[in-house]
Amino acid sequence: MVEFKDVSVTYSSGVDALNNVNLKINDGDFAFVVGSSGAGKSTLIKLILKEINATEGTVLVNGFNLKKLRRSKVPALRRTIGVVFQDFRLIPTMTVYENVAFVLRVIDAPAKYIRSRVPYVISLVGLEDKAKNYPTELSGGEQQRVALARALVNDPQLIIADEPTGNIDPALSYEIVDLLKSINECGTTVLMVTHEHDLVRYFGGRIININKGSIAFDEMIGGSRDNES
Amino acid sequence: MRASSAKYLVGQGMKSIWRNRMMSFASFCIILVSLLMVGVSVLVTINLNRIISGIEDQSEAAVTIKDGIDEKSRNALKDQIEGLPNVASVTFYSKDEAWENMKSDMSDEQQDLFRYADENPLPDTFRVTVKDIKLMSDTSMQIETFDNVDSVKSPTQFADVLVSIKNILSVIMTAVIFALIVVCLIIISNTTRASVFARRKEINIMKYVGATNTFIRIPFFIEGMIVGIIAAAAALLLTQFAYESVYNIFKNDMKLWSVLGVDNLYPFKKMFLKVTVSYLVSGAFIGAVGTSISAGKHLKV
Repeated sequence: MVEFKDVSVTYSSGVDALNNVNLKINDGDFAFVVGSSGAGKSTLIKLILKEINATEGTVLVNGFNLKKLRRSKVPALRRTIGVVFQDFRLIPTMTVYENVAFVLRVIDAPAKYIRSRVPYVISLVGLEDKAKNYPTELSGGEQQRVALARALVNDPQLIIADEPTGNIDPALSYEIVDLLKSINECGTTVLMVTHEHDLVRYFGGRIININKGSIAFDEMIGGSRDNES
Repeated sequence: MRASSAKYLVGQGMKSIWRNRMMSFASFCIILVSLLMVGVSVLVTINLNRIISGIEDQSEAAVTIKDGIDEKSRNALKDQIEGLPNVASVTFYSKDEAWENMKSDMSDEQQDLFRYADENPLPDTFRVTVKDIKLMSDTSMQIETFDNVDSVKSPTQFADVLVSIKNILSVIMTAVIFALIVVCLIIISNTTRASVFARRKEINIMKYVGATNTFIRIPFFIEGMIVGIIAAAAALLLTQFAYESVYNIFKNDMKLWSVLGVDNLYPFKKMFLKVTVSYLVSGAFIGAVGTSISAGKHLKV
């Protein structure tokens, strides 16, 4: 669960990135966050990951009050969140398997668990044939699926996808969102930041529109996909 | 931490040496050169000190004994001199010995001049060596006050020169070694920073997936330590080779210089253990600490 209470962020440069934002995303929700660039979407994500602190207000994420969270506890917070970036951020010197296993190694998981969990998650994103390949040998869509597997492998409560379709073919974008939707159906909260309105219109659901640091619109809309079926 | 994780971290550290081989090689070279510069400077200082101490040990005061005293008073004088706190040894050097010695140093023609000398003109002397050359002149003056002492000749001026050479040398060498250490640390931290900078993305990802700072640092620490140890081993071999070459030159080809105490150099074997331990420890320390400090700069995400 993510909750923002009267949150404002002013950067040291004097830029007001967020103004008095109130927002609640419940466990199991799927929400699109949309808005033009510079609207405050990235600031929102940085707040959730505690890369930055709110200048005012309270941010609650998966039971952590980020205002009171000590630096040494930040890793514990981040272990409850899976992040997918626009630029994938895979480690080029590691195979697909190693990239995914890396997350579990980092949190000191037992070797036996790693050996069973990693192939399972890789199969969830449909890349079982590519487990031994390096990221550079994969297409953009495949790389983003690896990133998704990496975000999933630790069974996080929340997945944040920051423009996950920004660097891949439009046709493959739908696949990625489909994957995120199916992950959400298993109970994981998903927050997807995007500026691709076609995708949002197609899938529908909860849409949060941020404009100039404030929430301009936060409602459920029906997607065109639902009309198709 | 689990054993499997520890094994993984050590493995990662070793793998990244090869993965980042250019940077590892740069760190290796820097640590090697640093250790060599500091190590050689220290070795030179140790040996210069030893040479000077050797000269000091050899420099002695000549105590001329009054003519015609009996053996009993001579021995009493010897005991008296030996009783002084700064006196290391007292050797009797009879006028006959001195005469023979002097003649043996002369060429045949010169000896001819003395062939018909009816009496040995040289006096009996004590050769006195001191413990602390700085106190040589005080000791000489004390000996001069004793009965049956005719005069004392001591190389006080030479002693003063030696002492000041030693003082200047130790100041210069300390400054040089200190400066070298500072320069090396700066270069090493910059090199490792570049090596860590090349991997900041990796560190960044680790932070996002919830790795603790310790977990991120350990592979860097191990990597730096291994590179440092390898560099130390190479530095040791080079130092040994260079040292022994120089040592042999002094031992074999410069025997004439032995008056200057150059044959007092330490053989490398005698210092092998100390040099090995200091190289390995400082190599591992510089490598490990340098790398993990630089890694720390990228941990604030």
